[in-house]
Amino acid sequence: MTAPAKDPKLVLAALARSQPALELGTLDLCFLSALHLQAEGAALSAFNEEKLSEVFEQVCALLEPRADYVKRRATHAIQRLRDQKLLARVDGAGVLRAGEFALTRLAAGIVESYLEDESLTRENLTQLTRSLRVSLAEILTRAGEAQAEADWKNGVEAPLRVSVSDLVSGIERRQRSLDLEQQAFQAQIAKLLESDWFGAVDQCLELLESTSRTLTELNEILLRDAHELSSLLQDIQEITVSAQQEAAEAAVERVMEQVDRIRAWGAARQRAWSEYYQYVHRYLCDVVRLDPSRALIQRLREQLSQHTARPFALSVAAAGSPRLLREIEPFKDDKPKVSRPRAERERPPSDNDAVDQHAIVEELVQGALSRGPSGLCEVTQQVSAETPGELQFVTAGRVAQVVARLARTTIDRDRPWVSVHDGLVIEEWKIAKGAARD
Amino acid sequence: MTDTRYLALGDVVSDELFPDLDLALRRGRHVDREDNLWYTFLVDAQALLEAFYRRFGCELMHPADGYFYLLPTGDKLGRRHLSVPEMLVGQALTLLYLDPATLQSGGVIKRADALSHLAAVMGSDALTRAFNPKRKRVDERVAEETVRGKFAEALRRLAALGFVDLLDSDSLRLRPGLLRFAEPVRGRGSPAEALERLVARGELVLGEGGGDDDDDEQRDEPDELEPAEPAPEPFQLPSEVLSEFADFGEYVSPPEAAEPETAEPETAKPEAAEEET
Repeated sequence: MTAPAKDPKLVLAALARSQPALELGTLDLCFLSALHLQAEGAALSAFNEEKLSEVFEQVCALLEPRADYVKRRATHAIQRLRDQKLLARVDGAGVLRAGEFALTRLAAGIVESYLEDESLTRENLTQLTRSLRVSLAEILTRAGEAQAEADWKNGVEAPLRVSVSDLVSGIERRQRSLDLEQQAFQAQIAKLLESDWFGAVDQCLELLESTSRTLTELNEILLRDAHELSSLLQDIQEITVSAQQEAAEAAVERVMEQVDRIRAWGAARQRAWSEYYQYVHRYLCDVVRLDPSRALIQRLREQLSQHTARPFALSVAAAGSPRLLREIEPFKDDKPKVSRPRAERERPPSDNDAVDQHAIVEELVQGALSRGPSGLCEVTQQVSAETPGELQFVTAGRVAQVVARLARTTIDRDRPWVSVHDGLVIEEWKIAKGAARD
Repeated sequence: MTDTRYLALGDVVSDELFPDLDLALRRGRHVDREDNLWYTFLVDAQALLEAFYRRFGCELMHPADGYFYLLPTGDKLGRRHLSVPEMLVGQALTLLYLDPATLQSGGVIKRADALSHLAAVMGSDALTRAFNPKRKRVDERVAEETVRGKFAEALRRLAALGFVDLLDSDSLRLRPGLLRFAEPVRGRGSPAEALERLVARGELVLGEGGGDDDDDEQRDEPDELEPAEPAPEPFQLPSEVLSEFADFGEYVSPPEAAEPETAEPETAKPEAAEEET
C-alpha cells in the first residue's frame, strides 16, 4: 500500500499540541557530543548512570574546571536531556535496577551536524554514486524475478527505503556541508580583502578558482551519474507498475525525487557560484586593482559627508515618453432615453355644471339605509350600481364615511373582508336595524 | 544578430534589441554586464552607435568600469539632474559597493543597511535636514518618516536608471553603474579639479539638482526637465503699437469732482473706464 501523503497542517498541529522545545547550552551540547564520541570510540550501545555522570564530570572539568557540585549538576543535566527526548532509557527494567541510557535519533542528528564536516568531494561523490548504481542494479534484477509478496517487500521495497535512500541522503548531507563551506569561502574572501586589500587579490582569485573547479567537477559527475541512476529507477518503476506493487512504486518515486533534488542542487549551486565569481572578479578588477591604496572609499566618504555643503548632481538623459494619441470612439447611445409623453397639464375649462359627488353619494346612501340593509357591503353594492365604473373605488370610501356618520355600525372581532363585486373588496360592518342616527 | 559584428548602422537599428535598448538609454538607463544581451549588443555596435547618438547631441559613454550610458551634451535630447536624495543615496550605495563586506553577499544588501550606512556617514541630523530642506521646525517623527519615504523614492528612481536592482521589499543588488557617483574623487587630482572637469564634460552640475518635490503626484515626472528644443524667440509687437501703451502702469490721479456746467456723464464714463484700463 502506498503511504498516504501527510498533510502539513495536520502534522504541524500535532507537533504544536505536543509543545516540543529545545534548550541546549554549550555544556549540554558538549556533553551530548562527548557521549556520541565515547559510544563510537568504545563501540558502546548504551551508558549506565555511573558512566553518564563520569562523562559529564570530564566535560565539566574541561569547560568549567572551577565548577562546584558537579554530581548534582550531572543529575540535572541528565534529567534535562531526558526531558527534551535527547537521552532515552533503553533497558526497560524500571525500578528494579539502575537504568541504561542511549542517545536518541534527535541527539545523534544534532551532534552529527556539529561534528561532521565531511563535505561533498569528487572522491566521495564518485564512491557514493557507484554504490548507488550497484544497489539499484541488484534491486532491478530482484524486481524482475520477484513473485511472492515477500520477494517484493524484502528484495525491492526495503532496500529502496533503507540502503538506497540512505546513500542518497548521504549525498544530500554532504551537499549541505559544501554549501556551508562555500559560505565560509565567501566570508573568507571578504575578510582577506578587509585585512590586506591589494595583497589579498591573488589569494582571493585562488579561492575562487578552486571552488569553481570543485563545483564544476561535482556538477559534471552529478549530471552524468544522476542520468544513469534515473534510468535504472525508471526500469524498476515500470516493473513495479506492471506488477501493481504500490508500496514498492512509492519507494521508487521517493528515491527518484531525491535523485532529482541532488541533480538540481548541482546546477543551482554552479549558477549561483558563477554569479558570485563574476561579481568578485569585477570587484577585484574594477575596485581593488584600480585603487590599490584604498583611498577611494575614504575620499568618497568625505564627499558624501560634505555633500550638503558642496552639492553637485549627476546629469542623465531624460527623454520624455512618446505620447500616443488614442482614437476616440464615438459614444454609442443604444439605451432608450428616459422620457414621458408630453401632455398638457392644464385641462381646458368645460361648460358642464359642477356636480357635487359627495352630495350624490350621501343621497344614495340615505336611500339604501332606508331599505334596511344588513351591512356596509349591501349599501356599497346598491350605491355602486348607480356609479360610473371609474369612480367605484373612490365611491366605496365615501359610502363607508357616510354610513359611519348616518347609521350605527358594529364590527366583528375578526373583521371580515367581503367582495362587493369583481375587483372591489371592503371590510364588512354590520348595521343595526332602525338605528339610523339623526 | 548580436553575435555578429555590425557592418552598418542599418544592421544595428534593425536588430530586435535596439528599440527597447534605445528607449532605455534615452531615459537615462545605465547598462552593464548584468544586462547580458544589451551589454553585448552595445559592445558590438559601439562604434556605430556613438556616431548615431552624436547626431542627437549626446555621447554614448563607456567607462572602464564596464557600463554604458547616454550623456546629453546638446539640447536635442532632454536631460535631468539627480535630486539631492538621489545623490545622497547613490553615494551611500557606492560606498557599500566598494566595501569588501558586501562581497560576501555578492552585492546584495538590505535596504535598512543602506539607510543606516547613509545616516552613519552623514549623521542623522544632517540627513534629516538634507531630506527636509523646506521645513524649519518639524516634528522628529514626521521628519524621520519623510527621510524613509524619500529614501525609498530615491531607490526607486536609481533602480529605474540601472544603478541598483530592487530584488524584493527588503533587499537590493548593487550594480557597477554606481561607480559614476565616485567619479569626482577618483584619480589623483583634487576633487574640485575633478568636479570642474566633469562639469565641463556635462557629466554633472554644481549645486542642487532636480527639484525635491513634496508633491507625490509629480514624482513620476522627471525632475527639472530641460527643454529638448530651444525656446522660440518671444513675440514682439511693433514699436509704433507699443508707443501707444507707453504710459501703461503709470499712476493716474482720480478724476476730480465734475463741474455742473462741464459735467457730461454719458461721455465721461467711457474715458474713465479707459483710464482705469
